Amino acid sequence: MISLRDIPECFEGVIPAMMTTCSLEGEPNITEISQVHLVDDQHVALSHQFFNKTQRNVRENPHASVLVLSPRTFEMYRLELRFDHPENEGPLFDEMSARLQVIASHTGMLGVFQLRCADVYDVLSAEKVEGFLLPPDPRVDRPDLAPGRVAAIARELRGLQAISGRVNRASCLEVLLESVLQALDEELGFRHSMVLLPDGRGRLVATASHGYGSGGVGAEVPLGEGLIGTVAARRRPMRVAGVGAELRYWRTIRAELEHAGSAPSAPEIPLPGLPDAQAQLALPLLVGDRLVGVVALESRTAMAFDAWTETFLNILANQIALGIDRASSADADESEPIPIAPGPAPSAVRAPRKRVFQLFRNDDCIFVDGEYLIRNIPAKILWKLLRANAESGRTEFSNRELRLDDSLGLPELRDNLESRLILLRKRLEEKCPDVQIRPVRRGRFELQVSCAVDLRESESA
Amino acid sequence: MASLDPALVEFLSSGVVLGCASRDARLVPRSVWPVGLRVEPGGEEITVFLPVATAAEVVANLRDNRRIALVATAPVDHRAVQVKGQVLEIRPASDEERSETDRYRACLARTVDPLGVPRAVLLRVLHWPAHAVRFRVEQLFVQTPGPSAGQPFQGPFRPPEPVRT
Repeated sequence: MISLRDIPECFEGVIPAMMTTCSLEGEPNITEISQVHLVDDQHVALSHQFFNKTQRNVRENPHASVLVLSPRTFEMYRLELRFDHPENEGPLFDEMSARLQVIASHTGMLGVFQLRCADVYDVLSAEKVEGFLLPPDPRVDRPDLAPGRVAAIARELRGLQAISGRVNRASCLEVLLESVLQALDEELGFRHSMVLLPDGRGRLVATASHGYGSGGVGAEVPLGEGLIGTVAARRRPMRVAGVGAELRYWRTIRAELEHAGSAPSAPEIPLPGLPDAQAQLALPLLVGDRLVGVVALESRTAMAFDAWTETFLNILANQIALGIDRASSADADESEPIPIAPGPAPSAVRAPRKRVFQLFRNDDCIFVDGEYLIRNIPAKILWKLLRANAESGRTEFSNRELRLDDSLGLPELRDNLESRLILLRKRLEEKCPDVQIRPVRRGRFELQVSCAVDLRESESA
Repeated sequence: MASLDPALVEFLSSGVVLGCASRDARLVPRSVWPVGLRVEPGGEEITVFLPVATAAEVVANLRDNRRIALVATAPVDHRAVQVKGQVLEIRPASDEERSETDRYRACLARTVDPLGVPRAVLLRVLHWPAHAVRFRVEQLFVQTPGPSAGQPFQGPFRPPEPVRT
C-alpha cells in the first residue's frame, strides 16, 4: 500500500475521479466526482450538495472504490474505501464548505447550494494501477524537467531567506510590499501576486501588485467573497488548483438549473487578476488574530501551488504581516530621509495642461477629467492636499497633521495611513501623473503638481 | 430493457471519459477505465472494451454475476450518463476491433488536450489487448452534476451545449 501523502496532487481536484459503490441488491453504481479530499493518511472525504445514489449505497453497503489520476504523472491509483461517518459541522465540514462557496461565488451561485454533508471514508488500501500507462518513451515523451525534491527545497529555503531579508530591511511599507512581490517572482518564480489591505469598511484594497501591469492597484474585494475575501473572513489560507475545471463543473450545474427553470439570478463575478488563471493561492496576513492583509498569488499552471507551497509561504506570510504592522504603526521619525525609487519623470517641457478634479461628497469619490480616480479616506486626503496647495501654495505635508485632522475620518487606532497614501500615490501615477505625492522624509511627503488644477465639488453625480 | 436514442449513441461514441463498474460476491465494488465502446445496431446492447492489463478483477466479477454499470462523461462540461445492464458475452477483442479502441483513444486525446492532459499521455494508455464485454442495456440515469443527477434518464438526450473553457 502506498501512502496517500505520497500522491497529494491526486486530491487537488485537477482531474475528476471515478467513484464506484454497490447497493445491497448487488447493483454497481459508478459516477465521476470532482474532488476527493485528503483528510489524513487513513481517511478521505467526499462532499455532497445533492442527495444521490452513492450516498444511499454506502449507507447500506459501506464499501467503495475510487480511481484517481495524478495530474503530474498521469498514473492511476485505486483506493479501496469503507464509509465511516458523515459530518455536517466541524473544521473539515467548514473547510470543504468554504471551498465550495469560493468557486460557487465566481459562477454567480454563492449560497445557492449549501454543503449537505461531508462523508468520511476509511482508506483500506491505496495502490498504483499497474499496467495503466506504458513506460515513457524518450523519443516521444518529454523528460521530467522538474528539479528533484532536495533541489527544490534548497531553492525554496534560499528564496525564503532572501524575501525574509527584504522584509527586514524595508524602509517603509511601500518598499516592503513592492520588494516582497518582486522577490516572490525572482526567487520563487511566482509571477503574479498582489497584497490587499483592509480599508476598515469591510473591503480589501489591492495596494501592491506584481505581474498585472499598471491596473492591479486599487481593485477592491468585499470580505467573504471569492477566494481572497473568504481567506480574509476565515483567516485561513486556501488554494484552488484546476480553476478552469472547477469553473466548468459549476457552469454545468448552473446550465442544468437554467434548463430546470430555477437558475440563480446573480451574474458571474469575474475572477480578480488573470482571466485565465488555473491556480490560485491566498494567505491571510495575521498579527495575532488581527488581519493586516491578504497576499494572493495566481498562475496559469494548474498545479503551481500545492500543500507544500502553502506551508512554506505561510512562514513568509507571517513575516510580511509583522513587517506591515511595523511599517504601518511605527511612529515616524521625521528627520530620517526615506530612500525610495524615483517616480516617473515629469512630462517634457510644454504648456501646463489643466486637470479637472471633481469631488462627489455623498460617497467621498474623486473623478479626474471625468474618470474615476479614488474614493473614501484616500480621496478625502487628496482633496485636503489639493485645496491647501490651491489656497496657499503649500507642497509639503506630514503624516502627523493628517492623523490630527478629524475630518478625514481616520480611525484612532491602526489607521492604515501608510497604506492609504500608497494607494493614493499609485492611483495618481496611473490616472493623473501630473499630480504626484512623493515621500521626502519618514512621515513627510511632498505634493508635486505640474498642471493647472480645477477643483469642483458637488453633493452627488 | 432500454434503447439508446441517436443523440445518446453519438454522445457515447464521442471523446467521452468512460468508467466501468462491477462488484464481487461480497458486494465489494471494483472499476476500470474502458478503452472504447460500440453501441450495437438497434441501440439495445453495448460492447465495451476493457484492457487486459488492468481489468482482471472486473472481468472476473462480470463473469461471476454479470451486473455491470458504465458511466460516460464529457470532459469539457461534465455532462454524463450512466448505463446499467446485464452482461451477455465476454471474449477477447478481435483484431478488427482494435481500430475501434485506437479511434476512441485518439478522439479522447483530442478532447482532453486543451484541458491540460497532453495527447502524448493518452497515447501511453495501454489499450491492447482488450476484452470485449457485450451487455444488454437495462437502465439509463442522468449523471450530469446538478439537481437531476441520479434520476432515471427521460430522453431524448440533450446534446452538450458549448461551455466556456
